[in-house]
Amino acid sequence: MKQFYNEDEIKYSKLLNDLKSLPQIKAPENFEFNLMTRIENKNFGDSKLPKEKFNLIKFLAPSATVVAMFILFILFYPRTEEIKNEIAKQPSVADTQTLIEKSIASQQIQKPQITKTEKKKTLGSSNMNGSLEASNSSSANSKLQDFINSQRSVSVDDYLSGATVTNRNMQRGNVVKSGDDPIVDGFFVEKQTDKQFIEKYRAALDSLRKAQQKADSLRKALK
Amino acid sequence: MNRRLTDLTDEELIKEFQDNNTIEAYEILVKRYKDPLMNFVYRFLGDRDACTDVVQETMIKFYLNKDSYRSFAKFSTWIYTIAANLAKNELKRRKRRTIYSIDNSDDEKSLQIEDKMFLQPDKATDGEIKNEIIQKALLKVKPVYREVVILRDIQDLSYEEISEITGLPIGTVKSKINRGRAQLQKLLKNIYEE
Repeated sequence: MKQFYNEDEIKYSKLLNDLKSLPQIKAPENFEFNLMTRIENKNFGDSKLPKEKFNLIKFLAPSATVVAMFILFILFYPRTEEIKNEIAKQPSVADTQTLIEKSIASQQIQKPQITKTEKKKTLGSSNMNGSLEASNSSSANSKLQDFINSQRSVSVDDYLSGATVTNRNMQRGNVVKSGDDPIVDGFFVEKQTDKQFIEKYRAALDSLRKAQQKADSLRKALK
Repeated sequence: MNRRLTDLTDEELIKEFQDNNTIEAYEILVKRYKDPLMNFVYRFLGDRDACTDVVQETMIKFYLNKDSYRSFAKFSTWIYTIAANLAKNELKRRKRRTIYSIDNSDDEKSLQIEDKMFLQPDKATDGEIKNEIIQKALLKVKPVYREVVILRDIQDLSYEEISEITGLPIGTVKSKINRGRAQLQKLLKNIYEE
């Protein structure tokens, strides 16, 4: 009986001993004779596989396929600039977002000046200073006006103090969304003015101006 | 010359056969490997006639494809690989035949069992019956596990040799052997519970 030292082999020791003690199967006595007879008679059955002849088409087929695929890929490769996918296109909000970020950055630079002027305003400083403040605040506001409609927004501080109360700025959305921080006042669709309408009024104004000019010239002549 | 040939190792003999086409070298190798291969294929297929055919075919393949043997490999693993592949092919062929055979009646099965179970009364000992049961259980184990269990536990080959024959990593070989043994033990629980 064989001794086992491996854990797995110890586990199956009885089975392994039985497997090892299975009787050895021996080849029949005429095995070698039959084998040598087959070899002498060249009776190999299908043991000898016939060697395949060299086939140029078969040899070139894989590389030809790869080349064809490459050509097709070049010909039909979709060019990204030609296809305009409206759905995949980013909405214009992204642009305004960058504008906001830019303006915040510019405002942060100018903010200390504004706050200083506001303090001075409260202390009741001279008119000269007031004009300077106005110029500073106007330069800051002009940049903000790039993306904020001043007519549709309101400063909350001013609104509460009653300085700039207008009927136009009383809209709830404007009050909520406006203030010191330049926040976009919602996503309102801008209504395009009719070009014909503008042309009509321009023509009317032109005719009025001409009439005025004629009237002025007649008055001068009468004098 | 013949005496000297018998002293040569397997690798030296196949080299002699490859270089000089010495048929005596071939015959010596056949003599050395016919019985181990018969034992291996019989335990795998469970049929003596089919087993003889498979080993004959192995030797023919060895004769015809002697040049495909490379000296860096062991001759034993090379010839076992050929035999294992042929045995597996035979098993597949049998399965196909069993599936598509119209007259797949019980007659053939009963005859097969009868042949296997035929034991002379005076020779029919407990050990022989046990061996029969073990062989039957072995045939019920999945072929992938059966092959490695036979090579390891019956043919006494090393894990490295089995890895070379099967083309599997040693770790996989070990796990397959373990699973095969577990399956076999489960099938033979009546014997080992006693």
